[in-house]
Amino acid sequence: MNKAYSRTRIVVMLGVILALIMADHLGSPTFAFNSGQGNVETALMQRDETACAPCGAPCPSTRD
Amino acid sequence: MTDSAVLQPDLQQPPWQVDRFIVSTALAGFALLGGLIWLETAPFMVVLFVVGTVLGMALYHGAFGFTAGWRNLVVKKRGAGMRAQLLLFAVSSLIMVPMLHSGQAGLVGAVAPVGTSLVVGSFLFGIGMQLGGGCGSGTLFTVGAGNIRMVVTLVFFIAGAVLGSIHLPWWLDQPGFDPVPLVNSFGVTGAILVQFIGLGLVAWWVNRIERKAHGSIERDELLWKSQGHGVLRTLVSGRWPFTWAILILAAGNALTLAIGGAPWSITFAFNVWGAKALEVVGVNMAQFEFWTWDYPAMALKDSVLTNIPSVMNFGLLLGAMLAAGLANRFNEASRNRPEGRQFLAAVVGGLLLGYGARLGFGCNIGALFSGIASASLHAWIWFACAFAGSLIGIRLRPWFRLPN
Repeated sequence: MNKAYSRTRIVVMLGVILALIMADHLGSPTFAFNSGQGNVETALMQRDETACAPCGAPCPSTRD
Repeated sequence: MTDSAVLQPDLQQPPWQVDRFIVSTALAGFALLGGLIWLETAPFMVVLFVVGTVLGMALYHGAFGFTAGWRNLVVKKRGAGMRAQLLLFAVSSLIMVPMLHSGQAGLVGAVAPVGTSLVVGSFLFGIGMQLGGGCGSGTLFTVGAGNIRMVVTLVFFIAGAVLGSIHLPWWLDQPGFDPVPLVNSFGVTGAILVQFIGLGLVAWWVNRIERKAHGSIERDELLWKSQGHGVLRTLVSGRWPFTWAILILAAGNALTLAIGGAPWSITFAFNVWGAKALEVVGVNMAQFEFWTWDYPAMALKDSVLTNIPSVMNFGLLLGAMLAAGLANRFNEASRNRPEGRQFLAAVVGGLLLGYGARLGFGCNIGALFSGIASASLHAWIWFACAFAGSLIGIRLRPWFRLPN
């Protein structure tokens, strides 16, 4: 059965996604912290327990 | 026979073929990204990455699509997919509501405000589901399985989500009120019972439609055994009976809550990815109120590898890719190239999905599945409004040359 995809395209696509993830990570506070830089604030457990929705939205009652 | 390996020739069954290239590529991606997450973040994030991968496999092998389940009920008057979803909600509710109220510190449910934003957002999301061809999880797992049209949907899903994040503060200022956890009114057992009654009523309505149209009910959602193949082969290459997918999805959401502190969600990651892309081209996202709120600001500032929805989404994509390779069906849906209007449907549907998900506080997973598993009133309103929107989307599909 002929494949409906190009192998090269798949590898390139995944490579691009990985490169984007790496580029984002290398510029992040977490990478800076892991590299031994002090004075950076990382957010490994990103949570705002006072938020009113999973996206971090505030409660309508707290809005002006 | 160069691309596929025959693993178990059988005179009774067609040979089991695996797409070795896709399977090995997915496994390589899994190892590479998993290793990176292990090195750079924390072990719990690796576990969530694995959970996301298993969920992706379950969604693909179980063909667990919310969108098609709703459409089958409306168009074909068949309710197995819908009943499978209701069963999933019931099982998750039974597991997760007591977990959330066990007194363990650090667990937060998927609760959200009830108001204009929720109603409008979920309604738009429902239209988008039918035009885009999937919900949040459906879009991701079909992209992972190589569906080209769904890649377009995902790109515009992300664009719509970012636009929604910019507008959400305005929508929140429209009439609405704070979250309503059912546990506050009924207690843990009462909330579960109230939800069971609600789910039972929906199931009764679904059964009534099916029985009226066909005279009987197909109980596909209750099948335990695979059709035609042995257990091992079905487990690896699909298609799973609904019950397997239900148990894995329910366990996956409960594990996500136990490990990550909050139930499974998908679409917030799309916001983060889109906002990061805009920042790369020079847009200052801090000028928009949404991105000054603590959680979005933290997620935008730090690595995507520290954002739980992003990490689980990466796992889900790779899990679906692996499952499609094991089933030898990668890119199967794109054999017939979509035409112009079908791509237009992906664009419009994607934008509606993204915008609607942000206003409606999530998708079928974050708002509906996790919302009901958290016994939050907003999930029920989301369900009703998204279903209403879906009815319109189904009517619009023929114009976009999408089969119903």
